[in-house]
Amino acid sequence: MALAVDVVKRSGRRPTESFDADKLLRSIRAACLSVRSPEGEAESTAAAVTNAVILWVETKPAVTSHDLRRLAGAHLERYHPEAAYFYQQHRAII
Amino acid sequence: MGNFDTNSSLAIIVLAALIHASFQASVSVLTLLSGHALGKKTAHTRLLRLTGGFIGGVGVMSLLLLSGVAFILSQLYPTSTPLTFWAACCGALGGVGISVWLFYYREKRGTSLWLPRSLADYLNARSKATKQAAEAFGLGLTSVLSELLFVFAPVLITALVLIRLEPELQLLGLLLYTGISLLPLLIVGALIGGGHTLAQIQRWRESNKQFLQFAAGTALLVLGLYVYVDRVIITGINTLGVR
Repeated sequence: MALAVDVVKRSGRRPTESFDADKLLRSIRAACLSVRSPEGEAESTAAAVTNAVILWVETKPAVTSHDLRRLAGAHLERYHPEAAYFYQQHRAII
Repeated sequence: MGNFDTNSSLAIIVLAALIHASFQASVSVLTLLSGHALGKKTAHTRLLRLTGGFIGGVGVMSLLLLSGVAFILSQLYPTSTPLTFWAACCGALGGVGISVWLFYYREKRGTSLWLPRSLADYLNARSKATKQAAEAFGLGLTSVLSELLFVFAPVLITALVLIRLEPELQLLGLLLYTGISLLPLLIVGALIGGGHTLAQIQRWRESNKQFLQFAAGTALLVLGLYVYVDRVIITGINTLGVR
């Protein structure tokens, strides 16, 4: 599902793209699965976090990918702290 | 400058291998590789094959790197190593030790390493794209090369020590170095295989990163000093005594 909201990519080097809720959902689900969360729990957590982010995104004309990741991480923290830690750390592992 | 005490030589090899083991690029890539594999619901046996392939690649590259450097040095200095070269290598160890203290980790959250961001992004992208054990093997080879700037110092000093050992001890030293340098990967691989979560592993790495950085830097300085005393000063004194 693509909303008419532009996502400005990291450092502004790559072109902007439309907000893709499915892409966000997949990344949250992957973070949950990475910390060995059961599949059903990963699905429901990803859906809940994605819905929360959509509510925020809908009010903006454009957002940065950094903001999306930060907000999704903050919501994920409420449902699954361990997955949130891994999600937030993803770009800082190497 | 020819024959040295075997115990002293093996001690240098073990310490150099422990320093090599404390470098984190390969552990980071293994964490990412496992994270992406688990995130894609990869079967447990395939996950084990991927981690096994990766660790195999790191081992082979470490082995090749050490044997290659040892071969080059043995061609350069077939009978004995000049004291000036030993001294230069000790200086390199000290320089790398201080660099580890200053630059090894980036000053931000997580375990971001000194690596150029383009290279880190490339390794991240490759770990995401890796689906076969053979690709994981290649990624393991690459991850060792990515950290060559730091790994080169312990490899160089080990190679210098190895070429002055008896042939059977050379083989033992080579295997000892490779085995010890692989220990962190084997431990992380076993933890992943045993069902520990990557968040636990990453949390441990993050909370201990400053200790690892300090330990690696200090160990490089200590090794440099030890080799300088053992191979340069004592050999120099013995040579003067003979005269």
